[in-house]
Formats: sequence, structure tokens, C-alpha cells
Amino acid sequence: MKLTANFTILFLVIVLIAALFAGCAQQAQTPAQPKEIKIGAIVSMTGPNSNIGKSMWQSAFLAADEINANGGIFVKQYNTKIPIALVQGDDESNQKGGQNAATKLITEDKVDILVGGYSSGVTSAYQQTVAEYKVPYIVTGASSPIITHRTDIDTSTVFHHCPTTDAYGKYTTNFIDQVIRPAVNKKFSFPADRPFRLALLYQDTAFGQGVQAAVNETITKNNLNIQLVSQQKFKMSESDFRTPLTVIKAANPDALYVAAAPNEGAQIVPQARRDVGLTTIFLAVENNDAPEYYKGIGQYGEYSIIESRFSPYTAPTGLVTDAQNAFKNNYFTKWGMYPDMMGASTYEGTYIAAKAIENAGTLNKADIRQALVDLRMPQLIEYMKDGTISFSKDFRESQFNHWMEQLYYNSTIGETRPKIVWPDNLKGTDFALPAWYKPGSA
Amino acid sequence: MAELEVLLQVLFWGLYAGCIYILLATGLNIIFGVMKVVNFAHGEFLMVGAYITATVFFLSGINPYAIIFLSMLALIGIGAVVERLCFRPILGTSKLNEIFLSIGLIYIFTNSAAIIWGDEWQSIKSPYAGITIPIGSLTVPFDYIIIMVVTAAILCALYLFLKKTKTGREMRATSQNRKGAMLVGINVERIDIISFGIGCALAAAAGTLWVVSGQVFNPYMGSIPAVKAFAIIILGGLGSIPGAIVGGLLYGIAENGAAYYVGGIWKDAVSFIILIIVLVIRPTGLFGESGD
Repeated sequence: MKLTANFTILFLVIVLIAALFAGCAQQAQTPAQPKEIKIGAIVSMTGPNSNIGKSMWQSAFLAADEINANGGIFVKQYNTKIPIALVQGDDESNQKGGQNAATKLITEDKVDILVGGYSSGVTSAYQQTVAEYKVPYIVTGASSPIITHRTDIDTSTVFHHCPTTDAYGKYTTNFIDQVIRPAVNKKFSFPADRPFRLALLYQDTAFGQGVQAAVNETITKNNLNIQLVSQQKFKMSESDFRTPLTVIKAANPDALYVAAAPNEGAQIVPQARRDVGLTTIFLAVENNDAPEYYKGIGQYGEYSIIESRFSPYTAPTGLVTDAQNAFKNNYFTKWGMYPDMMGASTYEGTYIAAKAIENAGTLNKADIRQALVDLRMPQLIEYMKDGTISFSKDFRESQFNHWMEQLYYNSTIGETRPKIVWPDNLKGTDFALPAWYKPGSA
Repeated sequence: MAELEVLLQVLFWGLYAGCIYILLATGLNIIFGVMKVVNFAHGEFLMVGAYITATVFFLSGINPYAIIFLSMLALIGIGAVVERLCFRPILGTSKLNEIFLSIGLIYIFTNSAAIIWGDEWQSIKSPYAGITIPIGSLTVPFDYIIIMVVTAAILCALYLFLKKTKTGREMRATSQNRKGAMLVGINVERIDIISFGIGCALAAAAGTLWVVSGQVFNPYMGSIPAVKAFAIIILGGLGSIPGAIVGGLLYGIAENGAAYYVGGIWKDAVSFIILIIVLVIRPTGLFGESGD
């Protein structure tokens, strides 16, 4: 009897071990198919950057909706399409919120890939977590080059799908040199060798400092005839710019280049013109090409300039015009407002994530990362260099085509609207100096 | 612009900023003086005042300066409700309760405002925008002159109210000695409600002036001004209204002076450096008395 019992126990143990090994083997051969592919979107849904954050989230949502309407992303490993589940991480427009959002998305929600990220200061604060878990991350808002250039942590899983401060700082400085400087010289009969007096007002963050460095470097490197007569900085989310603007006015600039977020830029221009009486040309960084900026600057923004690559209110004629207008119209239909530039790149970022997963054919993060490295997909709604979305081999940055817009006041809507004035192959009209413009003097 | 002209202009911006701080800090000081409660949500009353002004302006189109009365009245009511429902039950308990209660109120007011008005940045245009007034060598916007005059008028009205009315005297008595006030028959709970309401109304006035000056606003705007208002009342002396006025002006001028001399990023730091220096030399603040 006792022998039979021992035999039974031994038999059960063997069956159990066999079942266990069989289970492991089966799992290794055909892993369970996930019900959804989780794309985490780190966006500023609350705090000072919430306008941009919402545009980014709503754009990602629209892209996920469109992809899911076609059944989702085809994953070769499972030989089927799997729908996207977009998971939101609110960075609350600050570094601590960003850290919390990234940690939750990666460790609790276990997302397969990340998109989003606005404000270089906020995004760089949680990159350590992204590096630790080696999650592929397509950054679509934070524009400082440090995002992928930094060497203190591993950034190899981070891909930058928005122009860097280096790129647009250089582009804008060249516009000043090639367009505004000759126009001022011509209108006021100045000698051609008169140095152009440029002032800078920039946010004291990686973003603003990046623009300042790019302007200084472009002037020095290309030996441009531009003199920086005042360089003032302000802290993030500042609302009173009257004193630095007074200092800038005292320096008598020919133009003022402002590196600020839309909520700051929308206050700088009215305070400069209305309160300080600065009658000059204002140039804004591309992130200001957003509905809230147009609303904030009102009539004071007339004749000011925005460097851009996507505008809610204009588009150059070309290959992606229809796609861009379709995106704007679909966005308006769904959300009742127009998207901003960060929304456009996040919309594309979601499609890039989907394409990378499809190309990888698996949800393995290392394979998705490699698919992003090898990615070459046709441009979607923004004009890319060579018409292709791909990431550079050195710092994994995609390359955009830019343009410059000048704003004209529309009294019917009580806001300005942009017209493209540069480069020549995209422009709809020429750059113009307003009648009230006064050039600077030494 | 000559150096002196620039300095005078910076001083003018400092006076303007000081006006907003004075109203906010005076309101906070009245509440603290009478009730001895710490209300970190005071900046949210400024935010609500700003939204009420903007909403009435958008709906009616009437002069936003006239809306200041409506905004102040509305905040007296809101303040009375907050005092009765939130602060009175915890009055006299741990300071931690007050701190966490006011932090909770920040979230409630901020999120409610975001639901009601949305969290987009907004701004309005004053009917006097674009009008400038020459003052000596300076040319300053007319709106800022009005803001300074309105601030002075509100402070004068407050002074008269506190000195000449029975309720004002009862508020001062409660502020000086709550138990003594109760012993002489003052209804301190009524005084608490009135004080809280007046404090909130002053924050609303600051919100209205913020809006008419053309500055943008959204539901999250209140936290930084509130922190500064706290620093100002500590600088001026807890419970001292003259201290809040002098402290507010000092802060406004110091901030803008710092932005001029050492750069915008030092704006907040310089104000707090002044606070530390004053507290080291005079721990009760500029106008505070020991035992406050």
C-alpha cells in the first residue's frame, strides 16, 4: 500500500515537471498574442504647456484612430493586425511630473514604444528611465540637441522627430542676413556694409540657450554682418517681460529674435509694442506657430515673423499639401480646433512608431529600435529633406524643410494670419517692412 | 534712451508689479491677521477674479475697470463660503490642517476653472490699450496709470473702512486679541467671514487689474503670485497692512531692478534674498511686532 502511494506521488511529480517544461517550451515557440500594442504618449495635459500638450495628445489620438480604423498594425510574428492602445502620460509641464509619467508608462502600463515629449528641460529629466528600460522613444516636441547628443546617459533608443534649436536658429539667422538686413538697408538708404543690429530675448532653458548658441555660432562661423546688441534671458513661464524689453529698446535694435514658448511669446510681442513702444520686427521660433499664439498677440503681431514647418493657417503648395489639409480638417472635425506644429510632429510620430513596429515584425524593443534606425518612409504631412522620414546615423535626428512666415492682420477675425515669405520656391509674397517700423541706431 | 530714462522706466514697471502684489498681499494679511490661518490657495482667488472679469467683459463688452466691483463682490461671496465650509471647522487645530486644506483648495479651484473656462491661455484688450501718457521724459501706457490709481483708491477705501466703521474696528480688535474681542461681545465668527471675504475681494481686484493690463491668464496662474504674496507679508510683517504695502512695492521694484541689473533669471531670487536679509536683521519683518 505504502509503495503504491510513493509511486503515485513520484508519478504526479514527474507529470508536474513535464507539464512545466512543456509549458515553457510552448511559450518559447509561440508567445501569446497581445490584444493591443501600447503606445505611450508623454504630453503636457496640465500646467503652462497644456495647450501644446493637448494638441500633441489629440494628434496622436487621431493617428491611432486612423491606424485602428484599418485594423491596427500588422505584426509579422503573429501574422495579424493588432490595434493600438494609446496610453497618456501627463508630464504636468514640469520635470517631476515628467519623471512620474515616464515611470508609470514604462513600468506599470508596460508600453511598447513612447512618443511625445515637450520642453527639453522636462524631457531630459526622465531620459534616464527611458535609457534604463531601453524603450524606443520618438521625441516630437523637445527641440534641444541635448536630447540625443548628451553623453551622460545612453540615448540610443531616443529618436528626434522635430528640428533642433541648432537647425532653426541657423535658418532664422540666415533669413535675417539674406532678407531683413537688405530690406532695411534699402528702405533707409543705409550702406550695404552697415551691421544689422539684432537683439535676442530667450528662455533660460536648454531650448532658449540652444537658440542663442545657434545664432551666435551662425554669425561667427559665417562671418555675417550682424551685431548682437542685446541678449536678455528670462525664466520659464515668466509673464512680465517689460524690463528686459526696456533694456532691449535702449539698445536700439533693428529686429528682435524671441526664443520663447507660445504662452510667453504671446505676451512678449504685445508688451513690447503696447507698453514699451518697441517698433521693430519680431521673429519667433517655430513652436509659436500655434492658434494660441495668434490669439494672444492680436493686432500687435502684424508684420512679425515666425520660422515654421507646419502652420495651422497656411501651407506651401507641394506634395504634402493635401495630406496636411486633410490632417487639419480631420483634426478640426474631431476636436473643434486646429492643431499646432507639435501636434503635427506627434501625429507623424505615432505613424512612425506604427511603421517601425510593422517593419520590426515583433514587439521586441531592441528590434523596434533597430527598425527606427533603418527607417525610410515617405514624408507624411510635413516637408522632409529628400521627401523621406529617416533618422540620421549619428544623432538619430530627422531632417525637416523650413520656411519663414510674415503675419498680416485680418480685422474680420481680429487676429493675424501668416503668409510664407521665404524661401523663394515656397513663398506666396515678399517680406515687407511696415510703415511704423523704425530701424535701430548705434 | 538715456541710462536715467531706462532706470525710471524700470522703476515704473516695478511700481505696476508692486500694485498687483500689494492687493494680493494685503488681502492675505487681513485673513492671517484676523483668523491666523495660512491659506496657500489665495492665488486661486486672484485667478477666479481674473476669469470673472474676462467672462463679464466677453459677454457684455462693458469697461473691464468697471467689472472690478462685480469681481470683488463675487469673491466676497465665494470667500465667505470657503471660510464657512472649509476653514472654520479646522480653526484652532494644527497648522498642518490649514496647509493641506489650502493645497486641496488649489486643486479644486484650478480644476474647476479648467472645466468651466478651459485651460487655454486667454487675454483681453483694455479699451485704453495703445493710449500713452507722457510723464517727464517717460511715455507710459495709460492703463498702468489707471491701475496705480485704482490700487491707491482701494487701499484708501480699506483704510477708511478699518478706521471709521464699527465692523472695521471689530476686525482690528479681533486681529489684536481674539479672546479679548470675544469678551467684549464681538462676534468673531462674523468677523472671520467678513475678513475672509474682504481678503478674497482684494485678490479679485488684483486679478482684474492683472487682466486689464493685458497679461494672459489660465487656471494655473495663481500659484506663483501666491508664493510671492506670502513672502511679501513675511517681509512686511505678518498681519501688518502697511507692511504688505511697503513689502509689495519693494518686491515689485526689486524684481524689476534685478531683471535690469543682473538679468531676468534673478528676478525671483533677489526678492527672496531681500526677504532673508530683512528676517536676519529684523525677524518680525519690517512692520511686524513681536508676538504676532
